Amino acid sequence: MSTTTWAWLVLLFPLLGTLVNGLGYKQLGRGGAGAIGTASIGLAFVCALGALFSLQGHSAEHRELTSSLWDYAVTNGDVDAKLSILVDPLSVYMMLVVTGISTLIHLYSVSYMRGDRGYARYFAYLNFFVFSMLVLVLGGNFLMLIVGWAFVGAASYLLISYWYRRGTATQAGIKAFVINVVGDVGLVLGTFFVLRHSGTLDFLGTFRAVHGGAFAGHHGALVAGCLLILVGAFAKSAQIPLHTWLPDAMEGPTPVSSLIHAATMVTAGVYLIARLHPLFEAAPAAADTAAVIGCVTLLIAGTIALTQTDIKRVIAYSTMSQIGYMIMAVGAGGYVAGLFHLMTHAFFKALLFMAAGSIIGAMAGAQSLDKMSGFRRSMPFTFGCFVVGGLALSGVPPFSGFFSKDEILAFVGHRGGWFVALYVVGYIGAFLTAVYTWRMIFRAFWGEPCAEARELEGGHLAHAEVPTNPANGEQEDTDVGFPGPEHTIAEWALPMKVAMSLLAVGATVAGLVQIPNVDHVITNFLEPTFADSKYVHDEAGNGMVYFGMALGTVLALAGIALAHRIWVAQPGSAAAWRARFKPAYTLFVNKWFFDEAIDLLVVRPFAAFGTFSRRTFERVVVEGTLVDGTTSVVRAGSSAVRAIQTGFLRYYAALLLLGGAGVLLYFLISAS
Amino acid sequence: MTLSILIWLPLVFALLSAIWGNRAAARLALLGTLATLAIAISFVVRFHTGGGMQFVTDRSWISALGISYSLGLDGLNLVLVLLTTVLFAGATLMANLRSDWERPSQLYMWLLAGETAVLGAFCAQDLILFVAFFDLMLIPFYFLTGIWGAGERPERVRATTKLVIYTLVGSLLMLAAAVATGVLTAQQHNSDLTFSLAALASAPLSRGSQEWIFLCFAAAFLVKMPAFPLHGWLPDGYRTMPLPALSAFSGVVSKVAAYGFLRIVLPVFPDASVHFQELLLLIAVASILYGSAMAFSTTNARLVVGFSSVAQMGFITLGIFALNQDGVQGALLQMVNHGLVTLPLFFVVGLLAARAGGSEDLRDMGGIAFRAPVLASLFLIVGLATLAMPGSANFVGEFLILLGVFKAKVVFAFVAAVGVAMASVYVLRFFIRAMHNRVAPSVASREVGFGDLAVLAPMVLAILALALYPQFGLKRSEPAAKASVAAVSTQSAQVADATAGGRP
Repeated sequence: MSTTTWAWLVLLFPLLGTLVNGLGYKQLGRGGAGAIGTASIGLAFVCALGALFSLQGHSAEHRELTSSLWDYAVTNGDVDAKLSILVDPLSVYMMLVVTGISTLIHLYSVSYMRGDRGYARYFAYLNFFVFSMLVLVLGGNFLMLIVGWAFVGAASYLLISYWYRRGTATQAGIKAFVINVVGDVGLVLGTFFVLRHSGTLDFLGTFRAVHGGAFAGHHGALVAGCLLILVGAFAKSAQIPLHTWLPDAMEGPTPVSSLIHAATMVTAGVYLIARLHPLFEAAPAAADTAAVIGCVTLLIAGTIALTQTDIKRVIAYSTMSQIGYMIMAVGAGGYVAGLFHLMTHAFFKALLFMAAGSIIGAMAGAQSLDKMSGFRRSMPFTFGCFVVGGLALSGVPPFSGFFSKDEILAFVGHRGGWFVALYVVGYIGAFLTAVYTWRMIFRAFWGEPCAEARELEGGHLAHAEVPTNPANGEQEDTDVGFPGPEHTIAEWALPMKVAMSLLAVGATVAGLVQIPNVDHVITNFLEPTFADSKYVHDEAGNGMVYFGMALGTVLALAGIALAHRIWVAQPGSAAAWRARFKPAYTLFVNKWFFDEAIDLLVVRPFAAFGTFSRRTFERVVVEGTLVDGTTSVVRAGSSAVRAIQTGFLRYYAALLLLGGAGVLLYFLISAS
Repeated sequence: MTLSILIWLPLVFALLSAIWGNRAAARLALLGTLATLAIAISFVVRFHTGGGMQFVTDRSWISALGISYSLGLDGLNLVLVLLTTVLFAGATLMANLRSDWERPSQLYMWLLAGETAVLGAFCAQDLILFVAFFDLMLIPFYFLTGIWGAGERPERVRATTKLVIYTLVGSLLMLAAAVATGVLTAQQHNSDLTFSLAALASAPLSRGSQEWIFLCFAAAFLVKMPAFPLHGWLPDGYRTMPLPALSAFSGVVSKVAAYGFLRIVLPVFPDASVHFQELLLLIAVASILYGSAMAFSTTNARLVVGFSSVAQMGFITLGIFALNQDGVQGALLQMVNHGLVTLPLFFVVGLLAARAGGSEDLRDMGGIAFRAPVLASLFLIVGLATLAMPGSANFVGEFLILLGVFKAKVVFAFVAAVGVAMASVYVLRFFIRAMHNRVAPSVASREVGFGDLAVLAPMVLAILALALYPQFGLKRSEPAAKASVAAVSTQSAQVADATAGGRP
């Protein structure tokens, strides 16, 4: 079977899973929906492996394969989008990460979501997400990319609002969707700038055009296009200032947070920049912007994560911060480093979310770290997973995060010049990462066992008397569309245990494929995609690499030690720290006031425009001035022809006035 | 089979159902619209892509005045004719689901008479014939609103009066302009009086005449769409019109206006089109922003859909006045897309009201998705298509429209793009407040019935089919779109040359 056939099969199975689960929601029992959902993604993973082996059978120069089904939108102008896919090492790599992690998360969901009454709907949405993500990474032209891009946004919306009885969930859903649409719009406008000079929507054609000098003399257009494309990347990857939807997205079920809002969808921006690297390398101003924004994001998100008390939000901010590293890497030209971190992050972040889900199960739905403590003895498996994930995230050797984060920072440092500033901030971020990660672990697992933990030690799972929404304490409306009263924990559910164990293994060893001076599996595999990059032979020198490794290790351990000191060795000292750094604490705990600023600068003006249109303009101008004539006709009725004429006259007068105003406006505009 | 059969068949069935009486009217009307749909499909199948004007009927009608009964199909109107027959079949089916209409035979008579008028306007290749059909469209909808409209009599009277006066003023301007076009063309070129569109396009008027005639046509079309700020009749009109009539009205009657720009204004008045391009783009952008703002602040479900149409028609106008092929092809595709989502949206409004204690107010809805997952899913698909989510044909239409404007006037593309984001707000707000959140006190949700599915499912399938293969519309419209902008593009090229020459 040809490579592209394998790739089409990768797309087909999740789509079939969606359709079967979506249409057969009544016929499939619980077991059926979960099995079909998981099996379809598992098959997609198998086919992705097929694509991998088939691709490696081609010689290195011929590892860019395209295939198309039919004309999608083709005009005799420059719009030439076919329904096509591009299979190259980059898309195969992404396919493997997406389907691999997704299979495990589907497996986890089989148990975790068992108590939910919308079981088939959940798996239909989740399969649809995987399908969309695969369209995104396989799309062979800008239009297909945008389609996948928007589909994952829609799937994310559906899953965030999955518990649609909760006002907080529907609110978070619309926020995520709208910010994502802003990103889509940026991507579309950016595409226009590129299309105008490249004359094609096809990726390979565009790259040929760029290398062929299509943008010679149009450098400004290319930079503008790349910056607009970055708007899309930032919206999807939760980079500042388009990040505010991600923490709110934690309203979705925890496996969703794990899959979509940590491991896969939010890394789409990283993929996008890597995919379009010929454009970004020709527009260094845009690439530098990406690197700087990524760096700023990693720092700001890290500081916020230090102060959050909702366990899922801590991990969400951590995700934002880690994606900041990846965006910084690909912005600086370290594509392999960024994609390597994307993969290791997928392992350990998915694992951390799954483990958090297990604790939330034990807490009967509560998510606040303030309420959790001492779960170490009662949940040994979950604890183990948390520690593995935490070590990998903090970058302690030899866990996976250590190698990938180090590779990013070494590359950024190697770029020299002002990139050194990013390099330094990256290490500050690494220290913060260790502190906030271990703050979470120490608070949840150390200390006196809380009531729920004690109950679990006695062999019972805590249950809330009245199910409440942890976000606002509201009592749940208990039909469908709320998390069912049943919870489970990893210790008690084999599928969860299997999924988490496999991820824990990945989080531990995945970094070993790419050890400096030992092996370069990922670099070699991705080589054909980035062969045209001007940074392809850039590598940090040995001294820098070893210094970075040592520094990273020291910072990680120091961060863990500091967290241990504050939250274990001297319990209660956190309050003193808060008092000592009060201004900083206020800033961090309020998330740097981004929500408030966006509300003030964007949401309110638009809402005011809407209110003004409806209350004032429509009544006074449209109804009053333009329609007044009509109403007077009605009032006069059939009594007098004269009245009708007046009505008409007024109407004409109003029209004339308006026309005059319009013409005036028109001349003003055309004159300027 | 000639186009005359397609156009007049609905009227034949209209008269039959009026004669046959109330009992058989509903079925008869449905049969009539389905037969018309079948004929339209047969025309689409026999159409040669790239073959120019086809199935031409051209008979002298009033030879003294140079008016002919001239019909034809090309890439501009082919798919719109198909859309018209689809939507009128859907609207008739919608009417069929309700059995408590007063005087049903007359209701169906007017509905089918409306179909004849719309099809006539789409097929006409003679200016006066077009104007005649365009004005005839008003009469059926006047009666449909006045007799079967919602609300008390005074409200209905108010709504119909507004509707009639608004569109009548536009129509009168257009009639005068049409006559002037023929007469002035004959004068300026010393030729025989003719209203044939092809002949008028090949003998352009002087620039001064074009400009005032353009404004008259534009006023008539913009009122009909409606565009900001000429939409004053919309809130009352939409609130009152019975849903089947409203679906057809909003779905296709508004498209006749947009189509009028492409068929008549651009080819016959190319100088004026270029001259007023920015004015029209400005109106289009204002319609997009204003329509969207109204759609996300009103709580009446019908008006959410109604004002979203103002915004969508704004996009269509934007595409047309990009005055290039991308924009026009996008606009044509978007006309079809918008028609396909409008009918199911209005139908869903009816279904929601039936579940929310008869209220069409969003504040009385909530939580309807529970017990109605099929309704929720279909509504969601239609809603996502409405907000032009990539993957829908609506997105392809919008993409081409924005691309066209981007090439013509970059600034307008950027401002219009804000409207894209606003669309996601009003559609999702509508969906969430109706289907999600807590169950409102007056809501008693239930799943859609088979009759409802018979309306919704075919529309959703059509939306999905077009989403997978938007090329269906693009391929057929390409040569005609090119021809439609041919005159204006040479015109704008000349203007550009002149400007370049003026500034050495």
